[in-house]
Amino acid sequence: MREEYLLAALRMGAGADPVPEGVSAAARAVFGLRVPGGVPAGPVDLPVPPGTRSSAEAGAAQTGAAQTEAVEAGTAQTETAQTRAAQTGAAQAGVRRFSADGLVIDVETAVIGGRMEVAGQVSPVPGPDARIEVRTPHIAKVRIPSGSGHFAVAGLPPGWLSVVCHRPGHPPVFTRWIHVHL
Amino acid sequence: MPTDNSFATIDQATWEDLVARFDGRMWAVARAFGLSAADAADAVQGAWLRLVESAGTIRDPERIGAWLVTTTRHEAARLSRRARGEVVSDLDVPDTALPDPTAAVVDADFGRQVWRRLDLLGEPCRSLIRLYVLHPEARYTQIAVRLNLPIGSIGPTRARCMARLRALVEEEETR
Repeated sequence: MREEYLLAALRMGAGADPVPEGVSAAARAVFGLRVPGGVPAGPVDLPVPPGTRSSAEAGAAQTGAAQTEAVEAGTAQTETAQTRAAQTGAAQAGVRRFSADGLVIDVETAVIGGRMEVAGQVSPVPGPDARIEVRTPHIAKVRIPSGSGHFAVAGLPPGWLSVVCHRPGHPPVFTRWIHVHL
Repeated sequence: MPTDNSFATIDQATWEDLVARFDGRMWAVARAFGLSAADAADAVQGAWLRLVESAGTIRDPERIGAWLVTTTRHEAARLSRRARGEVVSDLDVPDTALPDPTAAVVDADFGRQVWRRLDLLGEPCRSLIRLYVLHPEARYTQIAVRLNLPIGSIGPTRARCMARLRALVEEEETR
């Protein structure tokens, strides 16, 4: 029996600290975040060229590694959320790759001034009618990807995040939810 | 619950029923990690989001409750480690086919039974565990002052007391 379960049962038995209504309301609202017919894109390891630090090492020196990882993702030619994060010393920056249904979605995040910036790239480049939906549980923003498949969104609340790629004639592809901290 | 052996066709009413049945348990588990209210809310919401993204892989709706509690524990542990400065992955998720069966003990009735067993323990175990349960965010220094114990003894004493309580509970279960 796990200690946390025993402690949780004791907390429930004491009637202490009931679940706040806001937490329950948020749980109910998650139902609206389903992507009917969607294909979940799971995480894929990013290639690490010889001589580049591992992701664990990168985590230990997160800000410094941010620029290296941006190069790995092939997005260094644009000023991404991540490189801006590195330049401003943001507390959190990261890049993650997801793949499904022949599509690769790179997602970079940074928290600057208490707001979350998201930049990324879809490859192969989707058609001209594709739409990228960047979602948090509270707000979704839709972007038309650039000619190279890039997209960017700023001003989101930090927390849970998922990206959906909508392509005519294909089921939507959505990334797993990731958590971005302040 | 859906009867077609799949969770993908769940409707809103069923979802809200799940929330009503399990969100209190999920909250209790997240808070048992000593998370702040904001982090605990994130852990609980994360478990629901994992359910949404995993719906197509769930084949046994009857085990969803155990899976939700297991996943909340997983998310809470991850947030707790990150709060301590550890580097953690945010993408490893418990297997939907293998929820932790012991999650079923997260229940108010069971909790009341455990309180009765706790009363059988002497001091300082009784006060120490009571403090831990009701104030999971309390630091060792605060507990040491409150119970007039050396700060260095709090961790080992807590482990010993929890082991004794767990033994009492398991003894009761096997009767």
